Amino acid sequence: MRETWVVGAASNRFGKMSETGREAGTRVAAEAIQASGLEPKDIGYTFVSNCFGAAERQGHVGPLVNSGLGIPDVPSCTVESACSSSSAALHEAFVHVAGGFADAALVVGMEKLSHLDTLAATSYFTLGADCAYETKNGATFPGLYATLATAYRSVYRTTPEMFGAIAIKNHANGARNPNAHFQKEISMETYLGSPMIASPLRLYDCCPFSDGAAAVVVAAKEFVKQPVTEPLVIRASARSGSIMDMQDRPDLLGLPATRTAADAAFRQAHLGRRDIDFLEVHDCFTIAEALALEDLGFLPKGAGAGAALEGITARDGRLPVNPSGGLKAKGHPVSATGAAQVVEIFEQMNGRAAGREVPRAETALAHNVGATGGSCSVHIFSRR
Amino acid sequence: MTASTLPRAPHTIEEWVKGYENDGKLRGFRCRSCGLRSATWGLACPRCGSRDLEEAELSDRGSVVAYTILAVPGDEFLNEAPYAYVVVELDGGGRVTGWMPRVRSETELRIGDRVRFTPSYRPGVQFAKEGEGESPR
Repeated sequence: MRETWVVGAASNRFGKMSETGREAGTRVAAEAIQASGLEPKDIGYTFVSNCFGAAERQGHVGPLVNSGLGIPDVPSCTVESACSSSSAALHEAFVHVAGGFADAALVVGMEKLSHLDTLAATSYFTLGADCAYETKNGATFPGLYATLATAYRSVYRTTPEMFGAIAIKNHANGARNPNAHFQKEISMETYLGSPMIASPLRLYDCCPFSDGAAAVVVAAKEFVKQPVTEPLVIRASARSGSIMDMQDRPDLLGLPATRTAADAAFRQAHLGRRDIDFLEVHDCFTIAEALALEDLGFLPKGAGAGAALEGITARDGRLPVNPSGGLKAKGHPVSATGAAQVVEIFEQMNGRAAGREVPRAETALAHNVGATGGSCSVHIFSRR
Repeated sequence: MTASTLPRAPHTIEEWVKGYENDGKLRGFRCRSCGLRSATWGLACPRCGSRDLEEAELSDRGSVVAYTILAVPGDEFLNEAPYAYVVVELDGGGRVTGWMPRVRSETELRIGDRVRFTPSYRPGVQFAKEGEGESPR
């Protein structure tokens, strides 16, 4: 395998876009390529994610992006893995470059749902669940994670303030991220006073529906020669899956795909948990951040929920988690989310995260989950 | 591979739906290799991968293993919220997902509560608390 780097990354401001997903995706792709010092013609393959392109009546977005970049003859395809789509696309890009099938590859994720009402947007999100066995019985995305939260609370001691602290921490980070959907801090009072969506999940336990686009350029070390930015060495690119339906899983106290993807990633990277300086994890709901820290192997079972309240996961804590604001505050434009996690790590390592910087970070991990863990990606990056 | 060795699903999704909507039963299978009982469509056991599955009707009674009360519903359930979304461990094995139209607040349900499958005209697999009267047909 060839050593493979992230050499460029960019995202737009998440929230509400007036332009189409295709325009936004092409624009951030151009920015990521420019940041990399490469030329569009250097791209050997484009992997695009746009789960809900149907909401814009658009499929087959890859050739549109490439044509818009002036490289229409470059091959492209769409990678779909629910909320983990663009990290799956990054994995495909890594495989192509590390395996020698391309010298450089482009990853673009984009999503636009803001022109739909909440009910329609909720329905699109639920496409990632089992429509016959889950959605048909009234599941929504918050509902599925709320079900996991109920199971968790029945075994481990939790308080509402523990989950509130996760939301408050991520909002505090998002308030320092100019590309975050929500750039405002929230108080415990605001959290506790917010309405129940799916008990025990309140409004402020839930990530928002966001529009957004993010892009990453990966290239072989031997191809780049003189990087113009501080590249991220991709130390591991691992994916895993698990039984899709919660009803068939042996336990509901975590996401098995996170456990297996993390183990594979750490084996690939020859690193241990102690080597990781900060994490971007998939906090579509506060319970998801708690589960991620346990399933990734950073905290023992039952310790994830209280970590934010104890200050462990703050930017200046022992284990900084989601300095970007996470899905909770930065936002969750489904197909852009995985790539956007890498954008944050790239900006942190390049000294462009002023105000939310994780000091002295050398190594970081990105964790991106598809739906309720049917799919999961774990990537580990370090400085050269 | 000859046709006779190709795996076959114990039931189709249509048969599963027809089972709970029209016939008042929860169709399912038992894995002869690991013993898992399930209702989920597949050509092999989702736990152990065995293709040796036999049809096995699931019990209509069981206990709640996880749930939530949904205030903001799914789109087919607009007029039903709030309602409970439940994962139920059925007696004799097998878990199914369903919902409980009569459970409308968190104080009304706990993990471990006994429930009964109660078919009705409404969509999905419906449960009611064991001991409560039949839900309206």
